[in-house]
Amino acid sequence: MSGPPPIAESLVVLENVSRFYGEVLGVNRVTLSIPPGITSLVGPNGSGKTTLMNLMTGLVRPTRGKVRVLGITPAEPEKLFRLLGYSTQFDSYPKGLTGYQFLYSFLRLFGMGHSECDQLAWKAIERVNMREAANRKVAAYSKGMRQRIKLAQAIAHDPRVLVLDEPLNGLDPLVRAETIALFREFAAQGRHVIVSSHILHEVDMISDQVILLSNGYVVAEGKIQSVRSEIREHPMQVLIRCNRPGALASKVFEQDHVVEAKVHADGGGVLIKTRDADRFYRMLNQIALNGIEIESVAPADDNVNSVYEYLIGGEESTK
Amino acid sequence: MMPLLNIKQSWAQIRAVIRLEMRKTFFAKRGLWVYALALGPVALYLVHSIDMLRDRDRPQALAAAHPASTETLHSITRGMTRDEVVAALGEPYTPPEVFHRRSHERAVYRYTDGEADYSFTFFDDELVGIGRRERCNLTQDSLIFATVFQFYFLRLAIFFGCVGIFMNLFRGEMVDKSLHFYLLAPMRREVLLLGKYLAGLIATVVIFTTSTALQLWTMSLHFDARVIDDYLRGPGWSHVAGYMGVTALACLGYGSVFLAAGLLFRNPIIPAAIALVWESANLFLPAALKKISVIFYLQSLCPVVAPPGKDMPPPLALLISAAEPTPAVVAVTGLLVVTLVVLLMASMQARKLEINYGAE
Repeated sequence: MSGPPPIAESLVVLENVSRFYGEVLGVNRVTLSIPPGITSLVGPNGSGKTTLMNLMTGLVRPTRGKVRVLGITPAEPEKLFRLLGYSTQFDSYPKGLTGYQFLYSFLRLFGMGHSECDQLAWKAIERVNMREAANRKVAAYSKGMRQRIKLAQAIAHDPRVLVLDEPLNGLDPLVRAETIALFREFAAQGRHVIVSSHILHEVDMISDQVILLSNGYVVAEGKIQSVRSEIREHPMQVLIRCNRPGALASKVFEQDHVVEAKVHADGGGVLIKTRDADRFYRMLNQIALNGIEIESVAPADDNVNSVYEYLIGGEESTK
Repeated sequence: MMPLLNIKQSWAQIRAVIRLEMRKTFFAKRGLWVYALALGPVALYLVHSIDMLRDRDRPQALAAAHPASTETLHSITRGMTRDEVVAALGEPYTPPEVFHRRSHERAVYRYTDGEADYSFTFFDDELVGIGRRERCNLTQDSLIFATVFQFYFLRLAIFFGCVGIFMNLFRGEMVDKSLHFYLLAPMRREVLLLGKYLAGLIATVVIFTTSTALQLWTMSLHFDARVIDDYLRGPGWSHVAGYMGVTALACLGYGSVFLAAGLLFRNPIIPAAIALVWESANLFLPAALKKISVIFYLQSLCPVVAPPGKDMPPPLALLISAAEPTPAVVAVTGLLVVTLVVLLMASMQARKLEINYGAE
């Protein structure tokens, strides 16, 4: 009797995963359990999205921690890539191949015969609407066409997990809509579609869940609505340099949006955590009028601050 | 049943890798110099043969115009005067070459019996030197071939040809940023490594054994069919097979070394230089270390031992002399063992392979 697979075998799991490139941080202490559906990895350039995807697919190995995709470790590519398709960020292809040859040769690497590969290659080409360009050299494709042929490569063997690095980059609105429909179709079949983007509004409408990355850390994860509130509720930390830190600390602590106020170790300023940046800055103007000389105001928590700014920017632009 | 299925599938994957690599290894623009390395000696032998063919009838014509029998030529001894030599042999076939220095005179008289050229050098009318230069013969040319084969073809042409082809199998794709294409397929890294190695091996074996065959053919082009027949009835075919076999084994051995080097090093010059020094220093190494080299086995397998020339500088003479003869079975087995060990090490490295094009 075969029941449903164990939970771990239906998830993409990262346990305390870190990856350093020499002294440079790729991702740090990432722990995630990604269920089926569309999951978006969002963050600015250099936030660790691609590293995370490369870790899931074994193109890079973790410095620490464990990765499992539906119960399979990326150290077993012969098993992993039978159920995972990855469209990488790399925009380079084996030389001299047409779109069809690119897919066909890739499928031959699975050990399948000619007719099966031929059939699967054309099926994938049809799915990304590339039939007319299939016999042209990939080198002559536009950016959008190269994106689509990469997507075709990722879906050609009908994988259960799709990992797509910035798949909507360079696509015109019509193709973008078709591609999103394809993601939804995959997700509706109970598969994983893991998509990265540096533009939140590009993916938040289609995502079942969002993982927010900044400087190699996961700063928020979950359903898109809860991530937004998490960001709003996440206290922002600010360091204020002034002539009377003690007075300033007691003054600001009276405000309900201030979570914490403590005098800095060097005695020359106050570290303040607030849940409402706008109210905090308005309050600061009043304090300055009350005889406390403020020398400088600087965010003390760059990660969250930048992501906050980033998200708000994305949100604004969708309105 | 499962292992059988796995083997069948792995073999299908290896063939898929070979199919993809073939075009790159044979027709890559950056690999054209490998053909130049391989065909260089062919061009030299061809020029030599054409020269010999053009000159083939000249000695007989000269001998007919200026007859001098072999016996008479052999009867000429040092101390004779010019008049005595001319009286015995007649006038030389070409005007004497005369040189003056201070009050002395030096003259060279040339004769031929149709088989060999003789030169008689007179110093102030006294015969002081007799030179004899035979026409090209197959034995002599075979020795020249053996020297070129061991000194140039094995140690430089195949060596650097393998650097060019095998190091590019992984490193070239890292530079082109297309290696991930392979790593996204459900294929063990060892299978990928084996597929790429076999692709490189097919390319190098085809290029270099063709070159060896062409070298042997062009070398023998100017000899009479009778001479060639005699040679082939004697040791000829075994020499041909021997040279082709050694060429293929050289590709096998050096191929494994440079495939592994392509996984370990970013710059091909470093491992190539290290391997070249190691292979060249083979003669000076202790017995145990000698066996960890490709040239040690290859030299033992060469069908003709290249003699160090009289005028050859000692370091070069040392390079082409065989370290110590090793039985063929031992040499072939040793080379296969070295190749296998290197491939095993390379496959361990391939398992750790990561895509980090930014660092290239």
